[in-house]
Amino acid sequence: MDKQTILNVHETMLVIRKFEERALNLFETNKLRGSVHLSIGQEAVAATVGAYLRDEDYITSTHRGHGHAIAKGARADRAMAELMGKVTGYCGGRGGSMHIADVDKGNLGANAIVGGGIPHAAGAALSAKMRGTDQVAVTFFGDGASNEGIFHETLNMASIWKLPVIFICENNLYGMTTNVERVTSVKDIAVRGAAYDIPGVVVDGNDVFSVEKAFKKALKRAKAGDGPTLIEAKTYRWKGHWTGDPEMYRSRDEVSSWKEKCPILRLEAHMIENQLLTEEQIRTKHQEIDQLIDEAERFALESPEPDPSTVLDNVFDEGDQ
Amino acid sequence: MSKKKYAVAIRDVIAEEMRSDERVFVMGEDIGALGGVFGCTRGLQKEFGTLRVLDTPISESGFVGIGIGAALTGMRPVIDFMYLDFVYVAMDQLLNQAAKLRYMYGGRASLPLVIRGQQGVGRGNAGTHSQSIEAFFTHIPGFKVVMPSNAYDAAGLLRTAIRENNPVMFIEHKALYIQTEEVPDDPDFMIPFGQAAVKRSGSDATIVATSLMVSRALEAAERLAEEGIEVEVIDPRTLIPFDIDTVITSVKKTGRALVVHEAHKNNGPGSEIASQIMEKGFRYLDAPVARLGAKACTLPFSLVLENAVVPSVEDIIQSVHEICYH
Amino acid sequence: MAVDVIMPKQGLQMTEGTIISWMASEGDSVQEGDPLFEIETDKLTIEIGAPATGVLLKILSQEGDVVPITERIAVIGEQGEDISELIAQQQSGPEQDQPTEPEHTEGPKTVQPAGEPAEQVATGGSSRYASPRARWKAEELGIDVSSIQGTGPDALVIEQDVLQYAQQAPKATPLAKRLMQQSNTDMDSVQGTGPRGKIYSRDLVSAEPVQPAAAQPEDTIGKLSGMRKTIAARMRESLDTAAQAVHRVDVDMYEAVRLRKRLKAAEIAVSFNDIIVMAVAKSLRKHPNMNSAFTDDGIITYGSVHVGVAVALDEGLLVPVLRNADSMSLHDIHQETRRLGEAARSGTLLPDEMTGGTFSVSNLGMFGIDSFTAIINSPESGILAIGAIVEKPVVIDGEITVRPICQLSLTYDHRLVDGAPAALFLQEIKKMLSNPYLLL
Repeated sequence: MDKQTILNVHETMLVIRKFEERALNLFETNKLRGSVHLSIGQEAVAATVGAYLRDEDYITSTHRGHGHAIAKGARADRAMAELMGKVTGYCGGRGGSMHIADVDKGNLGANAIVGGGIPHAAGAALSAKMRGTDQVAVTFFGDGASNEGIFHETLNMASIWKLPVIFICENNLYGMTTNVERVTSVKDIAVRGAAYDIPGVVVDGNDVFSVEKAFKKALKRAKAGDGPTLIEAKTYRWKGHWTGDPEMYRSRDEVSSWKEKCPILRLEAHMIENQLLTEEQIRTKHQEIDQLIDEAERFALESPEPDPSTVLDNVFDEGDQ
Repeated sequence: MSKKKYAVAIRDVIAEEMRSDERVFVMGEDIGALGGVFGCTRGLQKEFGTLRVLDTPISESGFVGIGIGAALTGMRPVIDFMYLDFVYVAMDQLLNQAAKLRYMYGGRASLPLVIRGQQGVGRGNAGTHSQSIEAFFTHIPGFKVVMPSNAYDAAGLLRTAIRENNPVMFIEHKALYIQTEEVPDDPDFMIPFGQAAVKRSGSDATIVATSLMVSRALEAAERLAEEGIEVEVIDPRTLIPFDIDTVITSVKKTGRALVVHEAHKNNGPGSEIASQIMEKGFRYLDAPVARLGAKACTLPFSLVLENAVVPSVEDIIQSVHEICYH
Repeated sequence: MAVDVIMPKQGLQMTEGTIISWMASEGDSVQEGDPLFEIETDKLTIEIGAPATGVLLKILSQEGDVVPITERIAVIGEQGEDISELIAQQQSGPEQDQPTEPEHTEGPKTVQPAGEPAEQVATGGSSRYASPRARWKAEELGIDVSSIQGTGPDALVIEQDVLQYAQQAPKATPLAKRLMQQSNTDMDSVQGTGPRGKIYSRDLVSAEPVQPAAAQPEDTIGKLSGMRKTIAARMRESLDTAAQAVHRVDVDMYEAVRLRKRLKAAEIAVSFNDIIVMAVAKSLRKHPNMNSAFTDDGIITYGSVHVGVAVALDEGLLVPVLRNADSMSLHDIHQETRRLGEAARSGTLLPDEMTGGTFSVSNLGMFGIDSFTAIINSPESGILAIGAIVEKPVVIDGEITVRPICQLSLTYDHRLVDGAPAALFLQEIKKMLSNPYLLL
């Protein structure tokens, strides 16, 4: 990973972290509503993958999708506005936290149905193949989704049609409140690729370089027309499944131990060690991002609510093809 | 004009659209070598290859999801369901995803996606292969719902569906595939959605019938005419959008209405149509709006039982008698 | 709570009335019983009192409007009361499909004006429910759907019933129909002025092929009063239906004059007219074939003798009726005739005092008319026209002598009575007048 990419990944991780922290704060102060699923602790996967995708490449995401959106180029202000249901949000207040999409920028959408977005990425890959482009599609999903039928159906079809799609399973150990081990037949979800003749790789999801290595290989394979790859990134969400989760299913010790593996601190240590940035520069970077998030919050708060008279708009596309 | 069977009209329109628009492709089960169980994709793979006429595994949910992804990214998939009963396997992708994505994305995406296949009775296929599925797709906003009752309409409506920028549930009927009609050769022949067809003019009662029930309603109308009851038969052709104006115009004339469909009567499309007639044409009514649909039980295998469940010509005649106070 | 003011039925034969004037305006306070409006019926003009005390909220029928009986013409209520629903109801026709629970009735109450027994509007045979379409059609055709018998389930009124009703509903009065037949007038060419365009005989005047000379500047055109219209129609109808034949006779009133003088001396006032009425009444009792009416179903021979006495007013002719005149004393006849005459002149005659006559008399003697022919007051059997009593030379017992002679002309309906029995009846009258002691 070159220096600029590292800086980019670092900045993206900071934006994700601070965006999520602010979202939590806004939720707790009753400035936004609905389900807000935070990806604090999981930033390395989204940020690293995002760094290697072009605008024309595609992603699909999950209910825990703020980070994926930001990594794919979403602006913090418009994303925050969507969390508040404002007209300036990515979906004009129609989708909210769980459905942020920016199709023109290749984000085919977060999806609040577990596994729901997996085939869409494969479809985008099929589309790229049919149109003869070198676009690739990445689908992020959790450990829970790997137990959905559609995960298996899609892996099978992606394999037989050799689609340029990369399946990235962010295994954060819990499907909502249930430990993955209790409901999953395999220890490593990556091995499920073998059932579909797809390479399956396990990576340290809290280490950008580990993610980078596997993802670059998958990209190469996809673009060569050799088909999909299944990457399982072992990671952890620091916060509960949702804001207000009493977290009765895990211990504080477990959470603390994962916080010690903070992907951001790990990258910053690497950057200092390799003299990519000084501690001072990192502090400045943090302040810069804090400011960005302040502005995003202000933008979102000041943005108008949608006009109720437009509630029936966009059920259908009324335009010509 | 060429005389064509319903199934051939479908096949020809798909082929013509694939020729004129590279974004159009077909995917589904057994559509390649076999050309579909009912021949609606016969010969297409030979002409367009295995990528554009894509044989899928038996993974309805998965291939609908893949179709959605393709539609979101510039393609115009036509997804073939061997039996529309199988949509229930893919309901999340159809109703949670396809129907909603454009709206949830604030209008910043379009889904030019056609789901087509056949449904209904007529081949002794029992409960999981004889159903009528339209009500689900008229209830959840996001799908256009099309139900051609003849080869001519099938051709004109399918072309509109393929050129439409929205998800379309294109509902054919297995018993209509051999229906033969003159179909225009014009490669741009389209029938707009939301335009009902008045199949027969009459002054005494209005029958709104869909799909296979259109022919039954017309047969009933002929027999009723022998007793002096002139029935107007309207085929709405599309349930979403629904041409209520044509229906109200007719009811204004006749004062009586019967809605006939093969879907279950309970909470069926007829419930909605009857309600709209009452909301928009209450003052024109001389009798309560009547409904006929399949009885509230699973479609049975036995032909005798199947005939007892779905509306027959006799049922239609009796219902018209009732609303005409005969 | 709002109270309806309706077109009250005044007399059994009244079906509609014309509003002549309103004595209060919308917004005025009115007292129960105080005159509120004036109506004109077939033969009378009558003031109607307010049915309740309150504010006249709305006048629904204007002066000159012809309104069927019992129809709401105004609403009295409290200041500021919302009667929009009530009015809307009127415009959309009476509600029939809402069963009302008597004990919970909160809606407007129909109150009959004092002095007139509440008349139940016939609802027999009409339906409680009508389909929306039937209501729509009825509204279009201006038909009250509640008057239609339904043929749908549970007697539901359906469109077909409305159309059939509209087709059957009389579009012209029987007289108007006959007049049109006689004059070969096409019904479609006549504009009816009655409810729903019903054609009255009066409407035919304008349809007649021969028009009176157009009014010149010096001419005046007076509005036809209800009474004038009625008289015109009745006279026309009488001549059109009854086969009118006339017998005349001179009656020697010598004894009658003596009798009157004696009674006067005894301070009992009677008129010659009273004596003649009595003679007519007694004769009718003896000749019931003259106390009858011709109908399509047969000849009605009345059990009672009710004699109409024509009274001339400036506005026209009224014929109040002396009920059971045959059993009245001369004094009674005198009193009653006088009372009725005064009532007629003062416009206070009750409707039932002008209907139900079986035979009439008309006296123009006071105008010096020797003899005239009267037109039967249909559907009565005859009318006796009384001329002036004039001193004339007559031959009695071979001697020429002067006697007070009165000429009587009996117009009778030849459909009912032939010439001979009519002659016997007139002879009877003559006998009684010649010897009035027979009356006593």
